[in-house]
Amino acid sequence: MSDSDSNSLNVPLKEQEEWEDVTPIPQEEEANTVCPIAYTDEYSDMMGYLRAVMAKCEVSQRALDLTGRVIKVNPGHYTVWMYRKKLVEELGTDSESELDWVTEISEIHHKNYQLWHYREALISRLLDPKTVEDLTQDQLVGHPAIRRELLFASNAIDGDSKNFHAWSYRQWIVRTYGIWDQELVFIETMINEDVRNNSAWNQRYFVLIGDGRGKSASEPEPPLEDSLADREIDYSIEKIILAPNNECPWSYITGLLLRHAPKKLYTTLLPKIQELAAAGSDYAACIASTAMYWSTLVDIYECQAKALPDQASALLDIARDACDLLASDHDPMRNRYWDFRKSQLTMSK
Amino acid sequence: MSYLFSYDFRYDDNAYETNTSETQAEVEERIGRIYLHLVYPHTLPHGGDINDSKHKLLRVKHEQFLRDSIHGLSSVFTVLDSSRPWIPFWCLNSLDIMGIDIDDKLRIRTVDTLRRMHSPNGGFRSDPWQLPHLVSSYAAVMGLALVGGEEAYSVVDRNAMYRWLMEMKQQDGSFAVHDGGEVDVRGIYCALVIASVLNIMTPDLVRGCAEFIARCQTFEGGIGPYPGVEAHGGYTLCGLAALEILGKTDVLALERLAKWMCARQMAFEGGFNGRTNKLVDGCYSYWIGGAFPLLQRALKRSPKDDYLYERPALQRYILACCQDTRLGGLRDKPGKHPDLYHTMYCLLGLSLSQHYVGVDPETEYTETLSSFSVPIRMMQWCVMPTESKVIGMRSNSIRPVHPVYGMSFGPLARCVKYFYALPPLAVSLATEQ
Repeated sequence: MSDSDSNSLNVPLKEQEEWEDVTPIPQEEEANTVCPIAYTDEYSDMMGYLRAVMAKCEVSQRALDLTGRVIKVNPGHYTVWMYRKKLVEELGTDSESELDWVTEISEIHHKNYQLWHYREALISRLLDPKTVEDLTQDQLVGHPAIRRELLFASNAIDGDSKNFHAWSYRQWIVRTYGIWDQELVFIETMINEDVRNNSAWNQRYFVLIGDGRGKSASEPEPPLEDSLADREIDYSIEKIILAPNNECPWSYITGLLLRHAPKKLYTTLLPKIQELAAAGSDYAACIASTAMYWSTLVDIYECQAKALPDQASALLDIARDACDLLASDHDPMRNRYWDFRKSQLTMSK
Repeated sequence: MSYLFSYDFRYDDNAYETNTSETQAEVEERIGRIYLHLVYPHTLPHGGDINDSKHKLLRVKHEQFLRDSIHGLSSVFTVLDSSRPWIPFWCLNSLDIMGIDIDDKLRIRTVDTLRRMHSPNGGFRSDPWQLPHLVSSYAAVMGLALVGGEEAYSVVDRNAMYRWLMEMKQQDGSFAVHDGGEVDVRGIYCALVIASVLNIMTPDLVRGCAEFIARCQTFEGGIGPYPGVEAHGGYTLCGLAALEILGKTDVLALERLAKWMCARQMAFEGGFNGRTNKLVDGCYSYWIGGAFPLLQRALKRSPKDDYLYERPALQRYILACCQDTRLGGLRDKPGKHPDLYHTMYCLLGLSLSQHYVGVDPETEYTETLSSFSVPIRMMQWCVMPTESKVIGMRSNSIRPVHPVYGMSFGPLARCVKYFYALPPLAVSLATEQ
């Protein structure tokens, strides 16, 4: 538990009766070490005792409390996290309180790797996916353990909307317990909050397509149903018009369709964006002035040219013109890339 | 001469503000003020032409910053207690890149320090009570390679290292970073760098690596840590470099990768961000900037066609915005403190931007099957001086480095030469059991 040592926080372990039976193991520090760290007395004291209990493979509450103290001060100490994991298992520590403790750590140390990995291991042990296999999605999302984990991750995302570990952790929960649909709701909330949040858009792809873990590199990409492709095109357009210069929806819909429904790029997406760019459209000015629009046109025409060889020459001409426009006017920082892209747009491809 | 700079290149938020665009605007504001000092005032109405001739790499200040760190680190560094093998590499590599000699005394001290971090069971860790860690092992091996010499090279027990790497090896081709630790693309990179330098690569070790990395390429074109996770600069360099070691960069959709990498260069700041719609950060000068030479080889582009990004703009960002003129050292961006990690990665990025490193397409060795193909392919990388582009003072030019290993060519070549002259390890391959 968190603070049986709360009274003794300022008293070194070496002065505590409870620890009299243990001989601390000091860190061997040679005089000629490069980049030596000037540890605080507190840290040296704690670590001396931690080494000692680890060396004798002690399994006890005091060892557990000590790991907690060390982790608070140095959350990157992966070895201590492993020791704590073992202690929790062997002591039969209550999972709820352990999860609360991890939450406490996450509030102090937002960007720490280890706590997410640790939490994943705890949940795996606590909730075997096989035991909830037969539940419906609604039931799964309502399951207290799963609810709590989703909340933990979403709290972290509240504090840092692009927290890499939190989004990745959500992928793990979604994939492990099969709760794909609810994730879409969360994603839409986050995109509404900030349409430029690329982590949310990446998550959207994940929910739609999965993570390709079972797929080998040589297998073709799974096709996306027409109705889903249409839905995603409409969704992306809706978000594009909020802020046309935002890379996310353009990159998302192009990437999605290129992999899973390439025909839709020119049959459906193309007319819709051309409509936005057409003279008289409310959006014409800002669509035509964003590199994203022209860049997407290049992708679409290239794809269309491959599929329709008799039109290829004309289509590639337009695409090449778009590359020129991007290099000179709309995206000069990437002029070398656009020159390269242009050179790739040949009939032989 | 103004290399692609304009106040017109600031992010257009379409008058629709979100958290992302607000934080971006703050950064542009801050960096804009720095650039303003360099802009010819009469050009402002037309976007502003920037004078890049005065940029100066503050070698003396950075050297002081590094030597102070070598001497000792404050208790604030307690949070790096488990990453101690990294710290000598950050320091010494930074000195080496700046062409500063590492004297014998420092070499001996470094070897002794790293020797104490070597585990007899394989791998490196901060001290004997911590588990060996793959990323620490990478940093330690690179640190020893940098110091060089028999004393340094013989610190590593290759047999133990190989056994430990195979313990970290996962069924799906990836590596865990420590026993019970997380699995991601970094692990593959670190394992392959170590193995390729120490001459302990085997079919078992590399099995499935390329396939795993390919599955980490996202719809955006960049590479994430794990299949499904967002494309990110650090993992992209790790994935691409690992594939370069294996000679298998063609498992990736290279055109999509190129597009994503190029999109990471910030139009106004000139530096790179690590993910779409995130902020510029000096360390991506290496993670993204340093990936361009690798991409160049993968795409079989000619040196005459130059890298696909704007090299001068990156150098401008590093020199004008990432140097701490007061404390020495380099940093993420103005307003952040300099640190050893950013110092090394900014310098690596600067080097790989100043110098064109590549492989002559005419004489390129493309065979990938033999165990000797790896060092040959790696050692084919060389500097092409005619394609250099050094921004600011000529004296800013620093040592060229190898893009895969992030280290200068001399020490790397000596190290590879040593280990590839050793007899092969006696290992039992899985296929033989």
